[in-house]
Amino acid sequence: MPETPRHHIAMWGAPGSGKTTLLAALSVALNRRDDDWKIVGQNPESSAYLTDMTSALTSGKEFPEASTALETYQWALIGPPPTGLFRRQAKRASTMIGLTMVDAPGGHFAPSKRTGRTGGAEERQEELMANLTQSRGIVFLFDPIREFEVGDAYDHLHGPLNRLAEKMLETNQFEGGKLPHHIAVCITKFDDPRVLQTAHKQRLIAPDLDDKHQFPRVGVEDARELFRELSRVSATGSAEMVMNSLDKFFHRDRIRFYVTSSIGFYVDQHSETFDWNDYLNLVPDEADKAALRIRGPVYPINVVEPMLWLGERLARQGRSR
Amino acid sequence: MPNPDNDLLRKALAKAVAGLTGSGRLDVVEVAADGVTSFKIMRDDHGVPRGRRWHTPWSDLAQDREALLRAADVDPDDDTVLVCSSPGSSRADQAFEWLRATRPDAPTLRVDDSIAALVTEVLGADPLTRSYDLVVLRPRTDGTLELATVPLFPVQARPGATTTMTLHCERGGPNGTAFAVVTWQGHDPLLLSVQSAALPPGSYEITAELRRPGRVRFSGLPTLSGDPRGWAELIAEVPARLPSRATGPGHLICAIEVCGAEPKVAERVGRARQVVSTLSNLPGLSVSVVAYGAHSFDRSVKDHRVEVRAWRVDVSTAQSVLDELEERGPITQGYPYHPHAAQLEDMLAAVDRGLAGDPASPVALLTIGDRPPHPPKIDNSRVLPCPSRHDWRAVVAHLEQSRNVVFGAVVDYQVGDKLPRVWQLLGSAALANFDALDIRGLTSGLGLTSDAVPVPFPLIDVE
Repeated sequence: MPETPRHHIAMWGAPGSGKTTLLAALSVALNRRDDDWKIVGQNPESSAYLTDMTSALTSGKEFPEASTALETYQWALIGPPPTGLFRRQAKRASTMIGLTMVDAPGGHFAPSKRTGRTGGAEERQEELMANLTQSRGIVFLFDPIREFEVGDAYDHLHGPLNRLAEKMLETNQFEGGKLPHHIAVCITKFDDPRVLQTAHKQRLIAPDLDDKHQFPRVGVEDARELFRELSRVSATGSAEMVMNSLDKFFHRDRIRFYVTSSIGFYVDQHSETFDWNDYLNLVPDEADKAALRIRGPVYPINVVEPMLWLGERLARQGRSR
Repeated sequence: MPNPDNDLLRKALAKAVAGLTGSGRLDVVEVAADGVTSFKIMRDDHGVPRGRRWHTPWSDLAQDREALLRAADVDPDDDTVLVCSSPGSSRADQAFEWLRATRPDAPTLRVDDSIAALVTEVLGADPLTRSYDLVVLRPRTDGTLELATVPLFPVQARPGATTTMTLHCERGGPNGTAFAVVTWQGHDPLLLSVQSAALPPGSYEITAELRRPGRVRFSGLPTLSGDPRGWAELIAEVPARLPSRATGPGHLICAIEVCGAEPKVAERVGRARQVVSTLSNLPGLSVSVVAYGAHSFDRSVKDHRVEVRAWRVDVSTAQSVLDELEERGPITQGYPYHPHAAQLEDMLAAVDRGLAGDPASPVALLTIGDRPPHPPKIDNSRVLPCPSRHDWRAVVAHLEQSRNVVFGAVVDYQVGDKLPRVWQLLGSAALANFDALDIRGLTSGLGLTSDAVPVPFPLIDVE
């Protein structure tokens, strides 16, 4: 009987917030790491999807297309045997975290009126809800550029959050008046000059001295501050409610913010170091002015870290779903 | 020997005319040997006294008081002067008495001769009640023209007064240069007279003489003739800018964007050829041809360099080079070349390098393209930075200040659109629309040919 993950992570975010790209980048990011962590499909469809998405990102230099059909993919993040608190599970040969992405357009998370004729949307929401209730780790994607231009992150958060709370309450799974989940809030598109410049102006950039590319980074301890700063320029002004909602529904020590970039910054092939004058890793597409292609090699930033944090926290919690 | 009665009458009439303001009228009635002559005098919009005169012989009056008063047409509201130039005639005396009885307030004078000549003389000697100005154009520092006036004669100026000034005249179009004199109604000029002549361009020392109210004569010019144009017509002919004069044979650099769609590239090269062909009769002109495309932003595809296809060649050779360029077509097209920007900044740097070794001469850079340049570093445009980090603003400033380059551009833009800053600078001396190319305007703006735009008025403050 094949080994199955004991912990599951679900992804969540508004349409276009970069869920698909983040997953593609996860594979690249793991391959750029000098450790044993890897991502493996748990069924042929998921393996093929991962391959296609990763190829689009690296070879085709195109953003992976988000699926237009509701499909559930499952992968396993497999890493080295646990240490420290993981030691109690030392008889296992490796660490395994289930990663589930219900790769549907994010619009399915949007609030909808409960009417008799939903065209199947309600069933889809139920499936998504089942995915969230079965997980104890959530990756929530917050796209600051989309928030600046559209401002719908809160719309895509508060409806499903209420539904999730309702489900968890039904099954008596509230812990201390809050949801039992750990949530990694990923602020995406750190590579966009508007996001990077905001972080820079707020003096939140802390380079990793061990990074040979010297990429700018915002540490976990400062990511919440950047989130707050970016929320101030929300198109609808509702982004500030996102943080309040997260704090109301999740235990504060189970929320962590990450400043991420799936494609990362461009680096010159000779210097191989980050250049503040030339870091944009996107080129506009000739045929479609709104479309973008990826300029150079992909160096994902903070894509693996949220997964590993969630995995570590779930394992420590010693619970499986 | 002056007639004292005439002197008295002249003074009385002059005083009465001087007292005319606005719509006031002066009636002068002369009872003469052959009948009654009436003068009705009033000022026109320019303050010039104008008189109307009519004569009624005794035969039409039949010794009738009412008939006399009708013929004299003395308005009770008008100022009136009564003159008898046939004293001793009983008919005249009777008529004069009837008039005096009608306007007992009017001054009355008796003279020996007819007063018609004296009235004309008085009107011609009337001092100005409005100042007279000459309409001119004044170039601003940016080359645009503003309408201005030069004072000719102030209020109270009298016939015989003169004013001398130096004016510059450009070619004036079919009607020549117009010497238009205006008075003012509040802040609005009112056209008093226009005289024109076709004058060779140059400076003229001109003397204006006030001949009589409403009449100014200009000397120091070929003979002027009356010009039927009205104010609106004259103003409509004023060009926006001072026409440029050719700076002499120099160096024309045609920089052509050769990326993007093939038909567009061919059209751009075609526009360059049109311009160069227009200048084929310009002796001593040297032409350079520079082609630039788009940067590659894929490390697997080598970036194309800006091509200096010809440098300081004659017009004929340049035409051949342009033919080759058109035949070859776009040098960069599609991925991985940047689709929305071009190597404009590299082209400018290449031109700067080329000019560094050249002898000093007037240089005109004509850029034919559409796309913006790449910035030296990431900016709000989100256009990727130039791989060589060339700063187009700095190079443009250097070319202008250190290499005396004048900039012209042919760009595809819609009138009314806000033109990007780069094209404003690259078209600072001459800017042409791609689809409505004014070659003559382009070449004159670049100082390669003289401007054909007529200037309808004389110019002042021309350096």
